[in-house]
Amino acid sequence: MAHPRPVELQINGEAFALRLEPRVTLLDALREHAGLTGTKKGCDQGQCGACTVHVDGERVLACLTLAVQVEGREVTTIEGLAAADGTLDRVQRAFIEEDAFQCGYCTPGQIMSAVACIREGHAGSDDEIREFMAGNLCRCGAYPNIVAAVRRAAEEAA
Amino acid sequence: MSALERRAKQGDASDGASPLGRPLSRADGPDKVQGRATYALEQPVAGVLHCVLVQSTVGAGRVVSIDRNAAEASPGVRLVLDAGNSLRLRPVSDFYGNKPEGETYTPFAEVVEHNGELVAAVVADTLEEARAAARLVTITYEDAAVIASFADARAGEGRPVEAQDKGWGDVDAALAAAPVVISQTYETPREYNTPIEPHGLVAHWEADDRLTVYEPSQWVDGMAQHFADWFGLAFENVRIVSPFIGGGFGSKGQPLPHSAVAAIAAKMLGRPVKLAVTRPQTFTAYGGRPGTRQTLTLGADRDGRILALDHEGANETAATKTFVETLGVVTSMMYAVPNLRSRHRIVPVNTVTPGAFRAPGKNPSAFGLECAMDELAEALAMDPLELRRLNEPDHDFENGKPWSSRRLLQAYDVGAQAFGWARRNRTPRSMRDGRQLIGWGMAVGTHPVYSSPAEAMVRILADGSVEVLSSAIDMGTGTYTILAQTAADALGVPAERVTVRLGDSRLPRAPVAGGSQLANLMVGAVHKTALAARDELIALGLGDPASPLRDRANTLSVEGGRVMTPRGEAVGIAELLAATGRSVIEVKRDTLPEGERSDEERRKFFTTMAGMERGANLPVSRHSFCAHFIEVRVDEDFGTVRVSRVVSALDAGRLYNPKLADSQFKGGIVMGIGMALLEEGVVDPRNGRILNANLADYRIATNADVPAIETISVGEPDYAATPLGGKAVGELAIVGVAPAIANAVYHATGKRIRRLPITLESLV
Repeated sequence: MAHPRPVELQINGEAFALRLEPRVTLLDALREHAGLTGTKKGCDQGQCGACTVHVDGERVLACLTLAVQVEGREVTTIEGLAAADGTLDRVQRAFIEEDAFQCGYCTPGQIMSAVACIREGHAGSDDEIREFMAGNLCRCGAYPNIVAAVRRAAEEAA
Repeated sequence: MSALERRAKQGDASDGASPLGRPLSRADGPDKVQGRATYALEQPVAGVLHCVLVQSTVGAGRVVSIDRNAAEASPGVRLVLDAGNSLRLRPVSDFYGNKPEGETYTPFAEVVEHNGELVAAVVADTLEEARAAARLVTITYEDAAVIASFADARAGEGRPVEAQDKGWGDVDAALAAAPVVISQTYETPREYNTPIEPHGLVAHWEADDRLTVYEPSQWVDGMAQHFADWFGLAFENVRIVSPFIGGGFGSKGQPLPHSAVAAIAAKMLGRPVKLAVTRPQTFTAYGGRPGTRQTLTLGADRDGRILALDHEGANETAATKTFVETLGVVTSMMYAVPNLRSRHRIVPVNTVTPGAFRAPGKNPSAFGLECAMDELAEALAMDPLELRRLNEPDHDFENGKPWSSRRLLQAYDVGAQAFGWARRNRTPRSMRDGRQLIGWGMAVGTHPVYSSPAEAMVRILADGSVEVLSSAIDMGTGTYTILAQTAADALGVPAERVTVRLGDSRLPRAPVAGGSQLANLMVGAVHKTALAARDELIALGLGDPASPLRDRANTLSVEGGRVMTPRGEAVGIAELLAATGRSVIEVKRDTLPEGERSDEERRKFFTTMAGMERGANLPVSRHSFCAHFIEVRVDEDFGTVRVSRVVSALDAGRLYNPKLADSQFKGGIVMGIGMALLEEGVVDPRNGRILNANLADYRIATNADVPAIETISVGEPDYAATPLGGKAVGELAIVGVAPAIANAVYHATGKRIRRLPITLESLV
């Protein structure tokens, strides 16, 4: 344990000056300190994917990342995905269109994974989407619609 | 226009003629995809302290001592709570509103009855501090013998649940005379709800006698009453706020011991307290589906007509608390069975009290029955679908009533056609693709239709938009969307002009979102209320001296947000309200039975289960039905089972929004795939610990486990079931999936697995 110290995080293009103990995870820093509760805590041990965010464009589990690890790097959360004018990202639109969620709790993580999955070129077929989206659990069982949404967004991106 | 004429006009669910029945996208979708939907622990409450739970590490025994000193001395700690220093709670009314006489108690165990039971809690300024200090609480136990599960012979046979006894005819004689008899035992393990949002809450005492609780809830009014009972408060002084729920599946219907802890800590410290149950803790903070076993004996004549069914079921329950997983419910109503007997027992073991988990009773009941039907078909050398057609009942044999509707034969036709069932070779191991054995199995599911009264408020605002207010909840079930559609339909405004506010016990009251009852009863209540609001709007247009439509017609209609005469003269709703000087039309109605009653009597309809109609007082038997056709591929070398194709035909009556209903159908099927192949709470026989209390080891289906799923609605509006013609949706589709998969695995491999989940170990 150690005393809180200043930590500056770049989140969604904005600087957040926080005071955090070194043991604070990126997930808790977002939810409890930065007021960004869109990133969800489903297990806090790297098993469910609900806390998926992007760090320098790569998928990262915020619950297994300490906040101090991402100082000086660009963090993108679900709140930062839509354009500045509020236009939704095509993945967000596709999730609504295909009804790719029910309770919505795993959804921010699913969408952050989907954006990266498409960007990484892993949305070439339904089976590939299933495999590369398998780290994000959805207990409502929206998987078939998630696959349809990722496919739709990938086709739009192509 | 009366409600009846309106129904005729609306016709089938998907006719597209009116907002209700259209596949609109989810109203709460934009908030959910942007991370703006505010779940309980995300509510902006200033100055919260953080509470972390400490659970027992023994499976049975007595807490001898708790050393709080080290934890209390840990940085940031405000309070270490246990049974010794906790505020005490008053006894709580049961589900039927009976308030017991009894001792006050604390939520902390002094006598431990299961591993992972709540024994202490730590409150600190930050989550990290509370978590660190929780590890410093030292608890000394006096161990007692642990009976970890009903697989332990010491658990014995348990005790009978006579309320579940049912039967007719002479089963013993019919079985003795039956030329074909099969008798087998089927088992399901402990299964956990595991909503992706773990349980937790923020408790905030806004005054000494006024408590606000932000907690995910399937029943805000029931939970408000529960907290009110605990703390001796008036119902109105407790507010439960739950606009979004990250999944519940039965587990978020009532406050749990940890809920009391947060409220006690907040009271003792005079600060709001946030408590998040950790994922591992969720496995013992409340119970999921208990382990079950059931023995079915089916006798039939050589043509396949069932002559008798004998059923004995049992489920685990807690050492001193009773939970009944009603294993005989599908067994007794699914087929034309002239002689039937069903008995049930519960077996106390050292487990957390089991609880409701999606289609409680129905789901494991169908697992036993539908596997047994497949075995009977095999014994008769019959097609399993033909066996079911042959035994299709023309009425409910359990109560002698006609079905309100039962379109299962249509589901068989449509589902079998879409799946290609006619091409199935009945012989096991006869279909393959290289080293993969292919199996085709089918099974049936059902869920009863329940109903309860509700209140609703509809407000027509000055700008012509509409608000619907109810304490009902939406946990992904689509309530926000379908209630907007309902109000739009009844009022004659576009659905986009309707805003729905839910999940707050200050709003007009609603019963539990359970038993798949909420959508039907809420569209009924909102429809009634919106029609009354529409009547008021029309009366205003016809009768108000300042109305632009006064004396222009004898009747008015409302369409597209405009109030119209039969000749087509029209004014906008906003215009009419402005002209008549009205800022709002506000109407509240309910669907309570007629009669005088006190406030308390009225409240009990919403805070207890007393008002729930399960069918006893109705002339018809109300159920949804479905038929699942499933293909599995079993690797001949490795024994791995993959579900490769699912076609399900479902009769859930009228669908208020086919897009959202379809998502629930598919979600149930996905959960059923997990149940069949993956899910199993593994209990340490020595100490009752749940060995896989996390989401990596307790495996739920992932995206990669789920193939394309085709769902086909064969339902038609059933106005004998519910006022607007819908039947049960949310819990229907999981029922029957696991047996369809087990039957497919048998068809693929020739191996009959009678205990879930079906793993490669069970096939090798």
